[in-house]
Amino acid sequence: MVIAALICFAALLVAWMFAPDEGSAFEGTATVFEPELAPAT
Amino acid sequence: MPEINAGDTAWVLTSTALVMLMTPGLALFYGGLVRRKNVLSTIMHSFFILGLVSVTWVLWGYTLAFGPDTGMGLIGGFDWLALEGVTGEPSDVYATTVPHLAFMAFQMMFAIITPALITGAFAERKRFKAFVLFAVAWSTLVYAPIAHWVWSPDGWLFNLGVLDFAGGTVVHLSSGVAALVAALFIGRRTGLIEAATEPHDVPMTVLGAGLLWFGWFGFNAGSALGANGLAATAFVTTNTAAAMAAITWVTISWLHKGTPSVLGAAIGAVAGLVAITPAAGYVTPAAAILIGLGVGVVCYGAAQLRLRARVDDALDVFAVHGVGGAFGAVATGVFATVAVNAGGVNGLLAGNGGQVLTQLLAVGAVGAYSAVVTAGILFVINLVVAIRVPAPAEEAGLDLAQHGEIAYQP
Repeated sequence: MVIAALICFAALLVAWMFAPDEGSAFEGTATVFEPELAPAT
Repeated sequence: MPEINAGDTAWVLTSTALVMLMTPGLALFYGGLVRRKNVLSTIMHSFFILGLVSVTWVLWGYTLAFGPDTGMGLIGGFDWLALEGVTGEPSDVYATTVPHLAFMAFQMMFAIITPALITGAFAERKRFKAFVLFAVAWSTLVYAPIAHWVWSPDGWLFNLGVLDFAGGTVVHLSSGVAALVAALFIGRRTGLIEAATEPHDVPMTVLGAGLLWFGWFGFNAGSALGANGLAATAFVTTNTAAAMAAITWVTISWLHKGTPSVLGAAIGAVAGLVAITPAAGYVTPAAAILIGLGVGVVCYGAAQLRLRARVDDALDVFAVHGVGGAFGAVATGVFATVAVNAGGVNGLLAGNGGQVLTQLLAVGAVGAYSAVVTAGILFVINLVVAIRVPAPAEEAGLDLAQHGEIAYQP
């Protein structure tokens, strides 16, 4: 059971390594999401 | 054979739930401080760690931190891998009046919030995939060994007599130093004129600070590991130091910048909570007032220095947790007294100046270890997955670029 649990987590780690990474190709719509600064005080 | 005490068990399980609530509280605290295009990604860091470290703690974190020692006081062995042998019966070593699983779960919540604290340093520019790998590596290679050093009865710092009631060095100093290293490694956010931005939602931050303060009663008073007078002492010193630090920070910022800052009250309270953490079960309420006052002054100064140094520790994790944790550890060596806790030792003011040196040794060892290993982890991960998002993603905001979601509709 312990080995099975460890293997399950290892599978998740592998999945994270190969999961899509949208940020690396992002060229998006920065103007829509410009920061809006809150008042300082 | 140790026997379970119902009151102690109820308090430890309740405290576990209180500490659990601190991590979503931290998510709100940090989430309010960032720009609106990064609020989800910042919240996600804390919330994902809540899941991630819960699993790694069960699988290997607990046994590395609290398992039987491997022989040198540095780390536990694999005896309790995946909690094999950790049951509803009390441990012979830890919290002997509550189920071992309850003690494990209480410690799990500490292991969860510690890497979550670091995320404030690299907010608004860290790639999520790199963050996940970092959280797994850091909680395994930095948190677990340090927890073993300080809290295992076989740990080398424990056996030197270091006092750390609830994690001033284990939680706050280790994460604060790691945050500084991470901020230096990843670099400043693109396009910042100053090394800070205005928070997008101060009420969210104040709500987060309130939840942190509430949960901290479990963090510190729960560390008594029993429903007893020591828990009451820790409860009162915790509230007192937080209160004093909050009003001190507000006063300083009022004199310095001309207005009594709401944000300052929230950050000041957190600084007070950090500083009293190692001392909570060893000092008097009067000492807690002095600790709150001192940490309010010191951490405010550290935050100002950080701004001048132009180090982009985005949410001042080092100034509050690193400096506050170190201050609290040393203050414990000054103010500790066996009149409060017969299981502790006296500090400087009770005639034992050597305790300050012991505390300083712990600060140096934990800080140095965290700095070196954190740098190594970041270096290796950066070889596999670029830690920083590309400039267009950073400009657009990580909510959209990394998570495909936005917090607020335009």
